[in-house]
Order: sequence, then structure tokens, then C-alpha cells
Amino acid sequence: MYGWIWRHLPGNAWVRALISLLLALAIVYALFQYVFPWAEPLLPFNDVTVDNGLPAGSAMTEWR
Amino acid sequence: MGLRRVVRTLSELCLTIGTLIVLFVVYVLYWTGVRADDAMREEIGRLQDRWASGPVAPVPAAGEPAPPPASPPAGPGSPGGDRAQGGDRAQGGDRARSEARDQDAPPPAAAGEAPPPAPRTAHRPGASFAVMYVPRFGTGWAKPVLQGTGTDVLKRGLGHYERTAGLGERGNFAVAGHRRTHGDPFKDLPALRPGDAVVLTDGTTWFTYRVDTHPYRTLPDDTAVLDPVPARSGYREPGRYLTLTTCDPEWGHSHRLIVWAHLDATRPAAQGRPGALSG
Repeated sequence: MYGWIWRHLPGNAWVRALISLLLALAIVYALFQYVFPWAEPLLPFNDVTVDNGLPAGSAMTEWR
Repeated sequence: MGLRRVVRTLSELCLTIGTLIVLFVVYVLYWTGVRADDAMREEIGRLQDRWASGPVAPVPAAGEPAPPPASPPAGPGSPGGDRAQGGDRAQGGDRARSEARDQDAPPPAAAGEAPPPAPRTAHRPGASFAVMYVPRFGTGWAKPVLQGTGTDVLKRGLGHYERTAGLGERGNFAVAGHRRTHGDPFKDLPALRPGDAVVLTDGTTWFTYRVDTHPYRTLPDDTAVLDPVPARSGYREPGRYLTLTTCDPEWGHSHRLIVWAHLDATRPAAQGRPGALSG
């Protein structure tokens, strides 16, 4: 897989190394920006409410 | 040749997945905290800017960010409420200064607007409207309280259950927060003990709540803890209560941890920080 990518990158070894680095950084950025924020709510750390987002509006407020 | 290729691809796949997992752990444990801390600082800054300039505060909260307050020295937990609720003591002194306690008297700052409390709760969903301080969590612990408890809201601070009463109002002002990840705001919630102060400000008034219960563990669908008079809290009559909720166990979601407090004192923002924060 990685060998295949390496062989298909243009330029000499230095250019290929540079492009590989940029590719890796781009992938990490995409992961942190888009993929992980999507995946993280699927884990249990987010459930801190007792109603799990019931629609607002039901009468729980007690007015004087 | 074919076998070598298969082994190599498998190895690369394993390495890739391993790297992905490590990156995800870094994201959850570290990066969400960085992002949340930034967002919370931003929200608090925005609030303080608004309070310093806007029409929200009839008297601008001048001394608000200043650490040395002009407040009277209050012993830990000394300004107790009147009610014979667990651990409340009547110790005179600055209690005369902290006028409104509990249900009888409306908060002095809200004296003119107490009858229609509705406008105070009409916060835009996702907007911050108050800052919470909990001395037990550390002197530097300050988190914004935002309207709503959605996932996106809780990434930027604590979330106020929209259906519950507003800050300082009669009823139950309920707030949820992450125990782990996203800045760990309620990491130390189990350390709260009866008598601990939970101080909130909305720019015009300081609200000092006093914790009445040890952390109470319950099931995720136990919405009764948000009732105006939560049954399991020990409260029997209507009052101005505060409910904090977070997850339990620390990294799990099988239960919820609940802490209840009652409004003990209010103080106009112009008079500086309440005694509970100066200790």
C-alpha cells in the first residue's frame, strides 16, 4: 500500500518524501477536524444529561 | 510473491489502524480539552465584555474580574441559609448583608423585575449567559454556562437544561457538564460536599448556592432529579435550587451523578465578589 503510493509519487526521493509528509499532515488534519468529531459522540463520554436531549418545552419550570 | 504481498499489506493495515487509534486517543484526551478550554475562555471573555459595556447590567460589574474583592471575610460556609436544610447554620455576621435567602425574599438586585422572571430565561439556545465558580474545584475554576444541553453546547461550556428554571429563580436551575473530555469541567464533581459553595453570576447579580447533598448516583433516564422540588434531594418545599449533573462512572455512561444545592445568598455585582470566592 505505502510502497504503491511511494512509487506513484512524482519527483526524486526528496520530493517524494516532502509530498508524503504533506499527505500525512493533511490526513491528520482531516481526522482531527472532521472524522474524530464525528466519531467521538459515539463513545460514552458525552452522556452527561439525565434526559438525553428531550425536546425543550415540557413543563418543568415552576413559576411563582 | 503473492504471499509476501499479502503479509506486507496486512502489516501495513495493522500499523495504519494502530496509528489511527493512537491519534484518536490523543484527540479525545488532549485535543478536545484544548479546544474546549479555548472555547470556554472565549465565552467568558465575551460575557465579561458584554457585561462591562452592555445594558444587561444596570450597574456595570466593575470589580467583577478583579481578584481582591471588597467583600467581607466569610468563614468557609458561614453565611448559612435560614432553612433548617442540612448543614445550615445561623451565624449572624454578614448574613445581614446577604439578604435574599431562599424562597421568602426575592433577590435584591431583581427586586424590580422579580414578578416577571420570564425574560431572564429567554436566552438564545447555545448562548452563554452566566459564569460558574466552584471554589472546591480550585480558585481558577470558572466555566461559562450556556443555554441548552446539546452535544455542541457542552463542547463550549456547561449546559443549562432549557426546561428548568432560570438562574436564581424559584424552581430548579439545572446544569450539565462533561466529567471527562472537552475540558473535564465536572471532573471533581464527586468531591463536592454539603456546605460547599457554587457561585454563579449573570453580570448583574452574584448567586451563591450551597451544596446540600453528597453526590447522588442515579440512572440516565431519571429526569425527576430536575423537578422543581427534586424528590431524592431531601428538599420538601418549593425553593430556589441548583442541580448539577454529569456522567458516572468517570469514563462511562451507565449512570449519572447528581448534586443539589439551594440558593443561599445573592449580591449585586457592583458590590464585588461574594465571600465564598474570597476564601
